[in-house]
Amino acid sequence: MNVTRKMFLGLTIFAAAAAVQANVVDDVLKGYEAQGAKNFSAANGEKMWMTDHPDPDDASKVRNCSTCHGKDLRAKGKHVKSGKEIDPLAPSANKERLTDPKFIEKWFTRNCKWVLNRECTPQEKGDFLSYLRSK
Amino acid sequence: MSTSNGNVRSGSSTLVWDLPTRVFHWVLVVSFAIAWLTSENDRFMYAHVYGGYVLFCLLMFRLVWGVYGSRHARFHSFAHDWSSVTEYLKALLNGQAERYIGHNPAGGWAIFLMLLLCVLASISGLIVLGGEEGHGPFKHLIAYDIGENAKEIHEFLANAMIAMVGLHLAGVVVESVIHKENLIWAMLSGRKTVEKEEPSVRAFHIIGAVLLITVLGTAGYYFRGYVVESDAVPFKPYRNVKLADNTTWRKECGECHLAFHPSLLPARSWELMMKQQSDHFGDALELDPETTNEITQFLVENSADKGTSEPAHKINARIKPDETPLRVTETRYWKRKHSAEFVDEVYWKSEKVKSKANCGACHLDANTGWFEDSDMRLPKLSTKSEETPR
Ligand code: HEC
Ligand code: HEC
Ligand code: HEC
Repeated sequence: MNVTRKMFLGLTIFAAAAAVQANVVDDVLKGYEAQGAKNFSAANGEKMWMTDHPDPDDASKVRNCSTCHGKDLRAKGKHVKSGKEIDPLAPSANKERLTDPKFIEKWFTRNCKWVLNRECTPQEKGDFLSYLRSK
Repeated sequence: MSTSNGNVRSGSSTLVWDLPTRVFHWVLVVSFAIAWLTSENDRFMYAHVYGGYVLFCLLMFRLVWGVYGSRHARFHSFAHDWSSVTEYLKALLNGQAERYIGHNPAGGWAIFLMLLLCVLASISGLIVLGGEEGHGPFKHLIAYDIGENAKEIHEFLANAMIAMVGLHLAGVVVESVIHKENLIWAMLSGRKTVEKEEPSVRAFHIIGAVLLITVLGTAGYYFRGYVVESDAVPFKPYRNVKLADNTTWRKECGECHLAFHPSLLPARSWELMMKQQSDHFGDALELDPETTNEITQFLVENSADKGTSEPAHKINARIKPDETPLRVTETRYWKRKHSAEFVDEVYWKSEKVKSKANCGACHLDANTGWFEDSDMRLPKLSTKSEETPR
């Protein structure tokens, strides 16, 4: 009895968290559509994730999104400059991911500037997000 | 307690140094050596302080023993008058100094001087500990500046003591040669060979044994944390002092790296950094104005110039008024403390450290901002592959 209740409670919370996440990402994607983007592609997101960009500080190096987040999104990453650990980005491994639109936007701004040396377009952000949520 | 009532045959061996005096002597040697050898590196401070405490307690014991101890241990037995000192030294220059069973006149005064230096060194050490480090019996009683000034006196006394130890050793060697006896062995065994009738002193075995066991027992207690610690739960001997904290700062400034505590840079550095958000070491911060204000205020109010911790004082004192460093790792104090003298080159290249700014790789308490000396642990560089960058 007690156990089933606990399981029920746990499942509800889990489902609620998943729902929040789905809602947040859906809302953010809708926002991008309102800015003219459409047909978001997780495959394109994945491709962009691995695309190398020149490192403005060091011609012998390249930058991409996995430079800090790693190739396996379910594993911890490491900030390439400071060495600080970064919790996994995949929502399936880290429930807190993709649950705060402001946070997502802040990091797109920072990370796009750092990796691509410019801000990302709504289409690119939508593709990234579709790729990330699928993990 | 055994009392020997003296063997009186000439040319025989007699007990000169009772056991407590010998234990005192050798434990003093060891504790002074520990304190001396650990003094250059802050990360050994916990051991250094232990050496100092033992020294101080031993000296307190010795003061009592100088009154109640056996014959040659009593102060009045080697407080020779000045004329006998000069006479002794003159004779020594001619290579025919008179033999004393206890301390000779010059040696006796050297011992008084050494005892005095040790007492003053341990007291000044406690003042440094209270003022600079915020530990020990004087921790809330002594201002930082007083602690810092006392450090110079403390170092002077320690150097004077080392000079006296040198003289003392020279004296021991010279006397051993002149009188063809091994004085070092005499301080171990307590016995000397005498020609004249000379009763043995009382040995005080029990007091000596209690003294030794107490020293060993407290050492075990003091350092036990290092024996039971694990990599996951390292031993932190001192409870961290709590510095100012702020959740917005900790969250926003702790995402890409450790949230560097405000006390590590002066206010003008923080103000400049928060103005230059579009290029923060190649990153864009782009915090909204409200967040920016809150964080800036917190940083400025608790900056290095406020002097709330030892690093704050030291970092700030070595920044020139016309300089505005944006990196902690470029301040003079930081660079000096992390030069090759203290941190080997391999650590900076290691994957575990990665960046000079990764304070947490070596400082267990980096996120508190306090940077306790004894919370410094260089990471273990176990495998070769870890030492070379990817
Ligand atoms: C220089 C290191 C670095 C690089 C390169 C980098 N990121 Fe990040 N990213 C971070 C850090 C640090 C965080 C914050 C993580 C945290 O708070 O745990 C973050 C967070 C994010 C988030 C927010 C996730 C959430 O919790 O909602 C997204 C999305 C993101 N990054 C996407 C990207 C993309 C896309 C790229 C490539 C264009 C990229 N990152 C490249 C360091 C980096
Ligand atoms: C988007 C990522 C990011 C965020 C957020 C961030 N920093 Fe930084 N910070 C960096 C990088 C990258 C460096 C350079 C690290 C290196 O060279 O190892 C750095 C370096 C620093 C340094 C110099 C470290 C040294 O070498 O001594 C200070 C101080 C600093 N940051 C303060 C802050 C403060 C205060 C905040 C919050 C307002 C903040 N940082 C937020 C990325 C970030
Ligand atoms: C590779 C390891 C390593 C890293 C990384 C490192 N330190 Fe240190 N640090 C040390 C060692 C070792 C000492 C001790 C030097 C000594 O023995 O006197 C030290 C000493 C210090 C001291 C002096 C402590 C005192 O009270 O005397 C301060 C303050 C300090 N570090 C701050 C920092 C800060 C801030 C950072 C990050 C910006 C940092 N350290 C990064 C290894 C490191």
